[in-house]
Amino acid sequence: MANSRVENWAPEQLPNTHRTMRDTIFQGAPWGAALTLSAGFIVFRYGAQFGEWQYLVLLCWYLALLVAGSLWRSLQLAVPAVVIPALAAVWMYSVGQTPENSWILHYFLQGLAGAMWMCGLLLLATATYILHVWLRSEPLGRWATRLTWAGTLMGFIGLGVRWRETYIGHPSWGHIPVSNLWEVFVLFCASTSLFYLYYEQRYRARALGAFVMPLVASAVGFLIWLTFAQHMDRIEPLIPALQSFWMKLHVPMMFVGYANFTVASLVGLAYLLATRSATRGGALARAMPAPEIMDDVMYRAIAFGFLFFTTATILGAVWAAKAWGGFWSWDPKETWALIVWLNYAGYLHARVVKGWRGTSMAWWSFMSIWVVTFCFLGVNLFLSGLHSYGKL
Amino acid sequence: MEREVHVGISGEMRSPSRRRLLWQYLASMRLAVSLLVLLAIASVIGTVLRQQESYSSYAFRFGAFWFQVYRDLGVYNVYRTVWYMGIVGFLVFSTATCITRNTPRMLREILEFPVRQRESAIRAQEHFLELHSELPAPVLQDRLLFLLRNSGYRPRSESHDGRGHVAARKGKFNRVGYFLTHLAIITICGAALYNADVPVRWSEWMGTLVPETNFNMPLTSIPHSAWMPLHNPAYRGSVTLPEGDTADVVFESAGDGYLVQKLPFQIHLKSFHIKYYSTGMPRDFVSDVVLYGPKGQILKSGVVRVNHPMSYDGTEIYQSSFSDGGSLLRMRSFLLGLPAMAAGKLVGRVGQTLKAGSSGYSISLKNFKMTNVVPWSSVDGHAHPGSPVINLGPSFIYVVHTPQGEAGEFKTYMLPIHRDGQSFFVQGFRETRGAQYTYVAIPAGPHGGISLFVDYLAALQQTLSGGASPTPAVLTQVFQQVAQVDAPTMSPEKQALFIRDSMLAMTQMHDYPAPFILRLSSFHHRWAASLQVTKWPGTIVIYWGCVALVLGIFILFYLPQKKVWAELRADPEGGSRLLLGAGADRNRLEFAREFAGWREALESSSGSTSTSVTR
Ligand code: HEM
Repeated sequence: MANSRVENWAPEQLPNTHRTMRDTIFQGAPWGAALTLSAGFIVFRYGAQFGEWQYLVLLCWYLALLVAGSLWRSLQLAVPAVVIPALAAVWMYSVGQTPENSWILHYFLQGLAGAMWMCGLLLLATATYILHVWLRSEPLGRWATRLTWAGTLMGFIGLGVRWRETYIGHPSWGHIPVSNLWEVFVLFCASTSLFYLYYEQRYRARALGAFVMPLVASAVGFLIWLTFAQHMDRIEPLIPALQSFWMKLHVPMMFVGYANFTVASLVGLAYLLATRSATRGGALARAMPAPEIMDDVMYRAIAFGFLFFTTATILGAVWAAKAWGGFWSWDPKETWALIVWLNYAGYLHARVVKGWRGTSMAWWSFMSIWVVTFCFLGVNLFLSGLHSYGKL
Repeated sequence: MEREVHVGISGEMRSPSRRRLLWQYLASMRLAVSLLVLLAIASVIGTVLRQQESYSSYAFRFGAFWFQVYRDLGVYNVYRTVWYMGIVGFLVFSTATCITRNTPRMLREILEFPVRQRESAIRAQEHFLELHSELPAPVLQDRLLFLLRNSGYRPRSESHDGRGHVAARKGKFNRVGYFLTHLAIITICGAALYNADVPVRWSEWMGTLVPETNFNMPLTSIPHSAWMPLHNPAYRGSVTLPEGDTADVVFESAGDGYLVQKLPFQIHLKSFHIKYYSTGMPRDFVSDVVLYGPKGQILKSGVVRVNHPMSYDGTEIYQSSFSDGGSLLRMRSFLLGLPAMAAGKLVGRVGQTLKAGSSGYSISLKNFKMTNVVPWSSVDGHAHPGSPVINLGPSFIYVVHTPQGEAGEFKTYMLPIHRDGQSFFVQGFRETRGAQYTYVAIPAGPHGGISLFVDYLAALQQTLSGGASPTPAVLTQVFQQVAQVDAPTMSPEKQALFIRDSMLAMTQMHDYPAPFILRLSSFHHRWAASLQVTKWPGTIVIYWGCVALVLGIFILFYLPQKKVWAELRADPEGGSRLLLGAGADRNRLEFAREFAGWREALESSSGSTSTSVTR
């Protein structure tokens, strides 16, 4: 060993913590090729109807999926698992099948069915996560993850199909399904679960599900109430103010932010309970990941959410400037978005610059859920303003 | 640690002169975090209370005392108050101080990265290890370089006095992210302040500009002090234009009044229309407008729709709302209780007040609505499966003032509804504004119209005031007399039905607050569109600020700065010694793993163990 030369140093001796650019590209190559083919097909088939904006959107999706899929390989399976069934449903509609005459559409693929499957699966997943932590059973944990995946995929399939459904019968009604409270709740449940799955896999921290998923489950409960008591799953046309290209960018990005903030906040709760339990030698502390890991998940999620939340708020302001003649009208929703933003800017400064860590930051992160929830939901329920999409 | 030095007070405690302390305080993190949180909390106020409503409605809600307190605090328009702007201004100022203080040091850090580092500095890094190896120093150094290169670094090395120095870093431009984000904040806030009309607010404050509070004043008599200058750099006002009218000013609300802004062009509203979905929900609001120059030349023409403004020479014109622009209504009036009176005729425009003959009654025509597609349930409380909605046609609202000064409000729908083989006209009335309407369903005669009902009512009243009692036989007899004149062909079943429904309507009309009923016979509809006109030259600056903000945040989060320094020297007892120190300013957990990997690799390749410290 002592005289081994540098060249004899086998690469496998190298630490595998670092993924070089080359690794990333290599792992991403088949994915990139598949994406390129799909994008090429779309341009070839529909390019004639495209304006510059459509090209821009396509490019953004292409790049986002390329990067996200290279960094998180599970996405490389998840994307086709959503797109293929959704396209199948679109095709079935196009050949005249309807939920009335096709049981596949009726029970599985129509927008409402997808959302309801998502609800059921996510509720089941929540229970399984709790049992997993309670009984410290690994197989249950694996099932919990699978159930969450299944629920998330069904949610996105449902949304995708619903997008198509908004056009059926009323071509002038068509819109991206993020226009009322029901639709955004489906999006919220599915995207929070999706981002949770990312952090779970990335940090090998399955026990966090017992904290994150109960919140998703309560959102599911609300969604079920909206569906059966309020019948908000009915497709309705858009009010004039929402008929804008910008909605497609603004709302989904907002929900990337909300989803990550939610995950961060519940991980904060997990942190608080686990460290408390640790001082008493409780069982919870042993079941949960190390505090540093939870701390890191919190920061990562907030940072990622902050980036998207900032972008989404800016896009909202640009939309407002185009549609209402002012970037900022101090409408309650806008103001609350600013409050959320300022809150997290404060958090990031305290953490990054002052180097605060641990319990105080976990409290901050946890308590922020109230601010975020008020922005997301409370404003629609209690205050009035220009953002009427969420009216009950 | 480095991150303490560049922000905190700790780095510069040497000469605590007062000016310096203030300077440090302004750029301190504690202040920044407090201001961010304070601003967040202050912003809540304006969302809890609806902003910029009329002062009278606030006064009504809070009572005279609290109304004044809140007004003085500026709670009705929080975001324009001096104290709110002050917090924002202070934050901007603090951020600017922070940038000026940090930038030179950060620039130096980007540009200079010495390969040689003092031993104490290496030991002070967040991760540090000391390793003794049998390998000669140059070989160990080569291994380290190989390792770093494999991890994606581009290490540099030097030798001095028999010691090897290695240094490497990633993400040196991370600090650019700091610069971009914070500069963006300043830029955006600055441009937004400019857009918020700083010069105008200033003159308002100085008293040279005084908002006018009389909303019914003709344009020509609005005092000069309420007019903003023609070349105002930024404004946002709106104007309500009836179809066919032209305007060259917009109004901007200010406190409990308004200011007038002259436009460099005239806006002519050719027409306005609403497009509907099949459900009756509005789909789009469209104004057809023409812009004229000062000499009457056409500058631009086109449509202004929701989400699709028209822009002309730096100003943008938006469709913001709509109302009735003075539709022409032709009405027939039926006097209640006077038999065999021909219906009177009335003509007027929405917005006008008409005199009802010499009776002393006056009628104000309030609002005209072209279509009323409403759910059945709101008309009669029953579900009608198959046709859940009903079209009641145009409606108009009028207020009747009695000679005694009492008032009642009425709502009349033009089209009848059909139920159980009989048609009805729906007439709503209420005596206080904001109360629920009481609806009367007046049965229509065989020729349509309500004259049969009115005549029947009059005849009945006459008979009953003569002392007869309202037995069914009397009711039927009176009706037959009336019907002989008005509707001789009516079948007995129809008659019975009509009598029943008339009785119902008469009970519903027990509290009817006027001695006549107006029905709409024809109309000429005229819309008014509210257009908003804005001029915001700061917009492009804001856009670039936003780009810088997002880019900067991305850089800060995802291009973390990592630094590595090493020193190698031959050990007097043979072999060599390596001191390796490294740190990252974000994603520390990941970096700790990277560092642990290096340690493992170095230990296994040099066949020895190290002592290491992680802070
Ligand atoms: C409107 C006010 C401000 C906003 C929105 C804001 C936003 C941000 C953001 C988003 C970050 C990145 C945090 C991270 O990397 O996780 C940051 C970092 C930072 N901010 Fe601010 N900031 C503001 C005001 C200030 C002020 C007044 C100071 C002066 C004390 C300041 C000093 C810093 C410093 C030193 C960093 C760290 C830069 C680095 O480590 O590279 N900020 N700020």
